[in-house]
Order: sequence, then C-alpha cells, then structure tokens
Amino acid sequence: MIYYKEWIKTRWFLLLLFLSSNGFAGYAVLRIFRVVELKGAAHLWEVGIIKDSVFIESTMQFVPLIAGILLAIVQFAPEMYHKCLKLTLHLPCSHSKMIFSMLKFGLLAVISCFFVNLLILFFGLQQVFAHELYWHIILTALPWFLAGIAAYLLTSWVVLEPSWLYRILFIAISMMLIRIYFISPYPEAYNGFLPYLTVFTFLLGSLSWISVSHFKKGKQF
Amino acid sequence: MDEEKIIECRNLTHYYGKRLIYENLSFSVPKGRILGLLGKNGAGKTTTINILSGYLQPKAGQCFMFGHDTLSMPHEMRRRIGLLIEGHVQYQFMTIKEIEKFYASFYPGQWKRDAYYELMNMLKVAPGQKISRMSCGQRSQVALGLILAQDPELLILDDFSLGLDPGYRRLFVEYLRDYAKSENKTVFLTSHIIQDMERLIDDCIIMDYGGILTQQPVDQLLNTFHRYTCRVPDGYSCPSSINGMYRPNVLRQTFEVHSFLKPDEVENELRSAGVPVNNLICENLNLEDAFIGLTGKY
Repeated sequence: MIYYKEWIKTRWFLLLLFLSSNGFAGYAVLRIFRVVELKGAAHLWEVGIIKDSVFIESTMQFVPLIAGILLAIVQFAPEMYHKCLKLTLHLPCSHSKMIFSMLKFGLLAVISCFFVNLLILFFGLQQVFAHELYWHIILTALPWFLAGIAAYLLTSWVVLEPSWLYRILFIAISMMLIRIYFISPYPEAYNGFLPYLTVFTFLLGSLSWISVSHFKKGKQF
Repeated sequence: MDEEKIIECRNLTHYYGKRLIYENLSFSVPKGRILGLLGKNGAGKTTTINILSGYLQPKAGQCFMFGHDTLSMPHEMRRRIGLLIEGHVQYQFMTIKEIEKFYASFYPGQWKRDAYYELMNMLKVAPGQKISRMSCGQRSQVALGLILAQDPELLILDDFSLGLDPGYRRLFVEYLRDYAKSENKTVFLTSHIIQDMERLIDDCIIMDYGGILTQQPVDQLLNTFHRYTCRVPDGYSCPSSINGMYRPNVLRQTFEVHSFLKPDEVENELRSAGVPVNNLICENLNLEDAFIGLTGKY
C-alpha cells in the first residue's frame, strides 16, 4: 500500500512528466523529419556519417536529467514537509522496506517514462536512417537516460537528508557524480562502459539510506 | 521491568550542540494513565517525544516502551503505538477518504473504520476534501480520527493544542479523555497550553530548562501546592531564593511565593529568611497557576 500513497502524491506530475518528456522525444523526431522534407534524407545521412552528428542532442540530452530531479523533488519534498517522514517511518513495517519501496516506485516511473521516450526515438529514427545510424544515435543517448535515473536517486538522497550541512555536501558530490555521464562529447563513447555504468547507477539507490539514518538519529546540523 | 510501566525513561541526557536540554531525566508512565509533560517552549518536550518515537538518539540514557528499547524496537510494536506529530501533520496531498484507505491497509484486524468516520461526520467536510485545504482544527480531528481508528494501546501526542482554537481544543480533549478512559488506554502527551490539561490528564510532569521540577498526580499537585502572599513595606526587596519556596517576588508591596509546604511551615521559613510576614494568605491554584508558580513567568 505504500505504492498507493506514492501514486496519489505523484500521479499528476507523472502525467505531466510523461506528456512533456515524450513531447520532447516526438519533437526531436519531427525536427529530423522536417530536415528530410527540406533537404532530403541523403543530406541527413551525409551529415550523420561525415560530421558524426546524433541530431537529437540539443533537444534530448538533458530531458531525462531534469525529469529525474523533478520526480525526486515531487516525491520526497512532501515527506520532509514538517518532517512528515515520521508518519511513514511509524508505520508497522521495516524502515528499509518502506524507503526502498518508495524508491522502487519512483524508479519504475522514470524507467517506464524513459522506455517510452526511447521507443518514440527508435521508431521515429527507423523511418529515416539505416540500422547502423539509428543504433548509433540510440546508443549515444543511453548514458543521458542513465543520468536521469542517477539524478532521481541522487536527488532523493539530497531531499531526504535532514541536515542542511550534509545536504550541501551531498549536492556537491551529486554534481560530480552526474558529471560522469556527460564527460565525453563523442557519440558512443560510453559503449564499452555502459554495463558498469548501469550497475553503478542502480547502486546509487543505497545512498538514500544514509539520509534516512540521519533522520532517525535526529541530525539537525 | 515492571509490566505495568508502558513507558520508562532512564537517565536521559541530551544536548543540541553544546546546549544542554536536560540531564538524567527519568520518568515512567503506568498503564491506563494519561500523563502530560508540561514545560515552556524549548524545555525539551518535543525532544522527549522524538527520543520516545525513535527519531532522536539521546546522548545518554535509555527509553523503553512495552519493555523494548525504543532504538531497537521491533517494527510490529509500532502497531500498538499511535503517534500524533506536532501541528497535527498528516499527508497533505491525500483526501479524507484516501488517507483512511491508506492507513487501514497497515492495521488489518485492528482498524476501526467507524471510529474515524464518526469523527469526520462532525467536521461537515466532503470525503473528497484534501487535507491541505483544511483548517488546523479540522486537521487535528483527522489526525485524532486516524489514531482512534488504529486503536493503539499507547497514544503519544506531541503538542496537540498547537494552532487549535478553544472550541477544537475542547472537542479534542473531551473526545480523547472519553476514549482513553473507556478503553483503558495509556496516553503520553505534551502541550504548552495548560488550561485544557486540567480536564484531561491524570498525572503531570512539569519540566524546566535542564530537568523535571515535579512529577505527580494532578489532584495531588493542586491539593499540596499553594500560592502564599502578604503585604510588605514599600521598597522591600525579597531574597532571590528561600528554602522550600518557588519564585519569590514582590509586586506593588505584595510579596508572593509558591510552595508545597504547609502554611505554618511557610511562615517559619519566611521569617527565617528575613521576610516581614504579616497576614500570610494561602491560595489554592488551578493547573496553569501551579505551572507558572513552579516554572516562573519568564
């Protein structure tokens, strides 16, 4: 039933998130279609191969990141309002189960949303590009979506932290960790590293327990 | 540990930074009693509630509820404890109906839905009304209704009177007292508004900065603690402390002091301290006056 609470809290935001992120994905595809209409598919292929362009970068690169940050704020800021988290932790369930179920809900929401984003990109790009070219774009975009998941988990860690001093420290660490996902500007630069980056991203979920432990100890400074 | 003690705190000491909140605070709450922890703002009432509910680790000492250390209490024990957070905080984003449905799922076999809706019907609000759009008084009834529906053995209420107008305070107090007494529940509560406590609590702990001033049944306190006054010459300055007396002071040629001692004992002590006693008047007090007498006006 913890999912019921999370659903009521986030449902309108999730609808907005779903519509806007898919709107961006659709817009990225439509921009490519427009170029095909104006200059022809051959020109687009040429730019893609010679200039190594991925076309969707300017529209999509930071959309998952912003989506992850906003979802964590919408989900966990109400828990910290007047220390409402005490109510959740007072329920007769183990604290770890409660917190990780809340994170699981958020993760399922962002992953579902990102999955639909990728489907729109995949089927849109498939209309215009050859197999190698559209996979080139999708593989380049995957670290951006992993950054979105990392942003969700790191923002949850920051928002759940009761002490402002630690919160500032966690923000600084989070910014450095997020930088990892955007270090290389070259397409497909992360290909060999993607499995490790995926494991690393999901391990970030355990950080929230540090904040909850601080909350339980009554840390204020 | 005595089975009849639902709550027991032993030698609690806590600091915020270098500021001492209290030292070696010990008290217990017996089964079936309503105990009020009374103190001025900043005396450590919410700190004690936070330690009891496991949201604050004291610098020293231990708290037990139902015989379990609050820091390592099994999560199933929380089924037996109802908690009201300061300001009647509840999930603002839920409606009256949604919040009942949510909590009910965590308390199968013990949830009393009718108790909740009986209280909600008094509020004249629609079941679809969001808690964020309710007044503080209405929110207090939602929070109380949820606790009554949970039907816990122990109720912990942190500053239940905060933000409530006299009507809602009275409603809350009467409903709570009636429930606790008829169902033999144990209640531990804090408040900084003392007026309504007299009709609610059986026992009181009065705290000042640093520790407990007294812990006893309210009836006993009101029968034994008195205010003594007498006229003194113009310009008289009284001693700052007198053996067995609380808060001696002079205002417009009237000397005033509070004490647990009997009138003849007070007179002897005052004379020994050099106070020019003349027609000493002994007055009975209500709980608020007794609280001020013990803790002072400032």
